[in-house]
This record gives sequence, structure tokens and C-alpha cells, in this order.
Amino acid sequence: MAAVRPRAAASPPMPDTTAQAPAVRDATDSIAERYARLLHQAVLGDDPLLVETALAEAAELGREMMRAEIPLEEVSEIHHDALVALAQAHPQLLLAKVANRITAPLMEAYMAYSLTFREQLEHRTNAILNARIDQLRRLESIGTLAAGVAHEFNNILGSIIGFSELLTDEIEADKPGSQYLKHILQASFRARDLTARLLTFARDMPEVREPVDVVSVAAETLELLRATLPVSIRLTLEASVPQAWIMADASQIQQIIMNLCINAADAIQVRDGRIRIGIEPRLHGAATEPRSDSPLEPAQPLLRLSVSDNGEGMTAETRARIFDPFFTTKAPGKGTGLGLSVIHGLVTSMGGTISLESTPGLGTRFSIDLPALSGSLQPAAREPAALDENAPAVRNKNASAALDKNASAAHDENAPRR
Amino acid sequence: MTTILIVDDDELFRTMLEAMLRKEGHQVLSAVNGSEALALLESQSPDLIMTDILMPDGDGIELITALNQQQRDIPIVAMSGGRRTISLEFNLESAALMGVKATLPKPFTRDSLRQVLADALQG
Repeated sequence: MAAVRPRAAASPPMPDTTAQAPAVRDATDSIAERYARLLHQAVLGDDPLLVETALAEAAELGREMMRAEIPLEEVSEIHHDALVALAQAHPQLLLAKVANRITAPLMEAYMAYSLTFREQLEHRTNAILNARIDQLRRLESIGTLAAGVAHEFNNILGSIIGFSELLTDEIEADKPGSQYLKHILQASFRARDLTARLLTFARDMPEVREPVDVVSVAAETLELLRATLPVSIRLTLEASVPQAWIMADASQIQQIIMNLCINAADAIQVRDGRIRIGIEPRLHGAATEPRSDSPLEPAQPLLRLSVSDNGEGMTAETRARIFDPFFTTKAPGKGTGLGLSVIHGLVTSMGGTISLESTPGLGTRFSIDLPALSGSLQPAAREPAALDENAPAVRNKNASAALDKNASAAHDENAPRR
Repeated sequence: MTTILIVDDDELFRTMLEAMLRKEGHQVLSAVNGSEALALLESQSPDLIMTDILMPDGDGIELITALNQQQRDIPIVAMSGGRRTISLEFNLESAALMGVKATLPKPFTRDSLRQVLADALQG
């Protein structure tokens, strides 16, 4: 007979299986010790009631293991160790006799473990979702408040700027007062830019899809950004077409460009920061496509809107999580982490895709491909359509400077807004 | 000489705009809300109306609607400090869609006012 090497230290105390009372649970027992005891009871118990009790305890232990966040592979290990200890304590045991009892406790524990896991997962998901909804509601009410404040503020600034300009007429240019007035106006313009920022972010997105010229929107947004971003950052717009029409809500396009540029500016640590907004037609199905999330019609002409910077770039880890809601690398209070996930949502809802390339230390480029209106990306102007005299006079002086004048209003009878 | 009707509930702003327009050589009428403006328009025929959008007791949108219904062909310039947001349903864009001659976001400079007036009064 082979020598038995009892592992006293590892072996759990074996209860008297003939006793009618179930194993008394000692609160100080570790889960492994309790499992070893109940396995013993389940395998060797004579009384069917004892075996059932052991199996019930296995299920309870499974739940406890989940709650104690014991990894799944350790659950099998606990079973393995208990089984080895049992075999060492009872070397005479025949496998054939107890085969059906050996795995029953493990199966019970496993099942309870995974059920508890699912419950916890559901619970956590709900908690996260509720937290997000709460946060969105808070953001929304902050947005409403900001919009109201900005509105009132604009009215007040209207009076300050107007009266200051009137006063300019009254004061001779060489008097110190004239200089003071200039300062009042400068300060007022800064306040005006601030309210513009406030309003841009307070804005929500009622879906008003209409033909929008991305080039004009980008040019307009650029002006707003120039007033917002540090002067040390050079902001350029390069459009390879005079106009680029897509079906969209102009304010959403503006929001996308604003957010990407502000993110870019935040990533720029160098002295000569550069942000470039690019607009160009894109051949669909290019093999270099880095990542695309939604299927696009093969025949659909695409417009590529890109924002690149020479900022600090991103690590692969950040890249992988960049579109996750509430993910942010910014300091607390500097970003909600919602910007890029919102952009991702907007782009997807427009039937487009967003991708990014980034090299740590060199910079980042976000590329957005959007379905363009057919025939809207030709570099040559089509026959200009007459502007409807009664068309809404939402003017866009900034954009027209960047545009080929001949091409303006070339877009059919849809009388687009911009 | 052109006559311009200013409709705005903000007294300070109205005073400023009145002074500015007079200085530009225009005659000025003013009203504090849309209802007062409509009452005034029964006896007066200004060449241009400059109206705020959001006002208590008859806002700019109601004024524009009423004038459109009456088919009074007076050019309108809509002004507002608000922009399209969650809370502010009516705005410059709504006014633009209703066929006003021009929109002028507040605050504006005298130069942009001159520009808009020149365009709006030209016909």
C-alpha cells in the first residue's frame, strides 16, 4: 500500500459524517475550507438529506464567491484542492463509487456564481445608466441656464456697446477718455465672445436637416473659434472645393468642428500650435480606410472633413477609448468627456463615419466622412441660380470671403440656408 | 427721411438704439412690445421695423405673424440676444424663416447696424 502523505496543513478538518447535524458553519472559516468540508459531506455523506444540505451550501458558497469577487478560475481551483485533500484523506475511495457525487457541488457553486454574476452585472449596468441619465439631465439644465444668462447678457452688452460707440462721437480722439472708451469696447467684445461660447455649448440639437454647405459652416465656425482659442494657435481652413453640400443640421456640423478644434487646442502644448480644418471630396472604398463603423452606399459621394493638430497625440490606450462616453484625459472640471462620444453619435446619425490617426508627440487627425449631396463636390461651379429675394437673410460674410464667388448659390432650387 | 419703429422691452437698449438711429438721421418711433407696436401701426407707417424676438406681452414672432397676415409690406429687421437653444424656442432663425428682411444678433456694432439698414431699406 502506498504511503499516504497527509497534508495536515492544507486538509480541512473532517467532520464526523455520521453525525445528523449539518456541518456547523464557523464564521472564521475561509470559503475554501467550507467548500472542502461540504465536498467531503457531499461525497461521503450516507444520508441523502446531508448530501442535499451540502449541495445547498455549495450554491450559497457560489454566490459568496461572486460577491467576494473571486475569479471564476479560482472557483475550479478551490474544487480541485478540496478534491485532492479528500482523496488524500481517504485513499481507499473508489472513483466509481463516488463519481456522480464529486462534481455535483462544483456544478451547484458554478451555477449560483454565474447567476449572481448576471444579477450584479445588470445591477451595475443600471446604476451606470442612471448615473449617465442624471448627468445628462444636469448638463441639460446647466445648458438651459447658460442659454438664459447668455441671452440676457447679450441684451446688456448691446446697450454697453451701443452707448460706448455713441460716446466715441462726443469725445475728441486725443483725449484720454477716447482711449478708455476703446477699452470698454474691447472688454465688451470679449464678453460677447464669451456669451457666444456659452450659447454654442448650451445649444441642443433639434434635427433640422437641410442642405448645408460645410465650407461656409466651417469658415463661420473658424471665426468663432479664433475669438475663443489662444492666439498662439494658428487655425487654418483648407477646402479643395468651393462648396460642399450635405444634408445636415448646420448647428451640428458647427458643434462637431468646435468640439474637435477645442480638443485639439487642449492637446497642444507647443508654442507654435497649429490646427487645420480640411474639407475635400473622398473616393469611397479606399483601402487605407482606418476604421469605419457604419456601412455607406458604395455609389455615394463622400465628403471628408478633417481636423488635425500638432498637439501631444494619443497613446493606443487612449485611442481605443476615445469615443467612450465620459472618457476624458482632461483635468477635472475641464471636460465632461462627452464631446467625442456626442460627435460620434452625430456623425453616425448622419450616416457618416469617424476615424482618427494619432502619434504621441506628433499630433492627431480626426477624419469624418459624410455622405455628400450628389454633384455637390465638383470643383467647377455650375450655373449660378438666382438668390431668392425673400430668402432668409442669414448672412455669412465670413464664409463668402473664403469662397469662390462664382460658385455661390450654385446649389439648385433648394434655396439652402447658408 | 426714413422712419424706423423700434420694438424692444429692454428700456436701456431701446434708448440706445433710438439715439443711434436719430444720429444716423432717421426718425424714430418706439414700442415696448408687439401689441403696442401693432396699435401704433394703425396710425403710423414707418419705413422699417426693428423688433426684438422675445418680449413679454406680444413678442416679435407674433408681431411678424400679424404683419404678414395684414399684408403690411414693411421691411422687418429681427434682433435678439438669444440663439437657438433648448429653452428659447423662437429665435432669429424662426424670424428668418418667416421672411424678415434681415436678422441682427445682439450685441451689434454701429457698423453692422448701418450695413443691415442700408440693405433692408434698399428694397
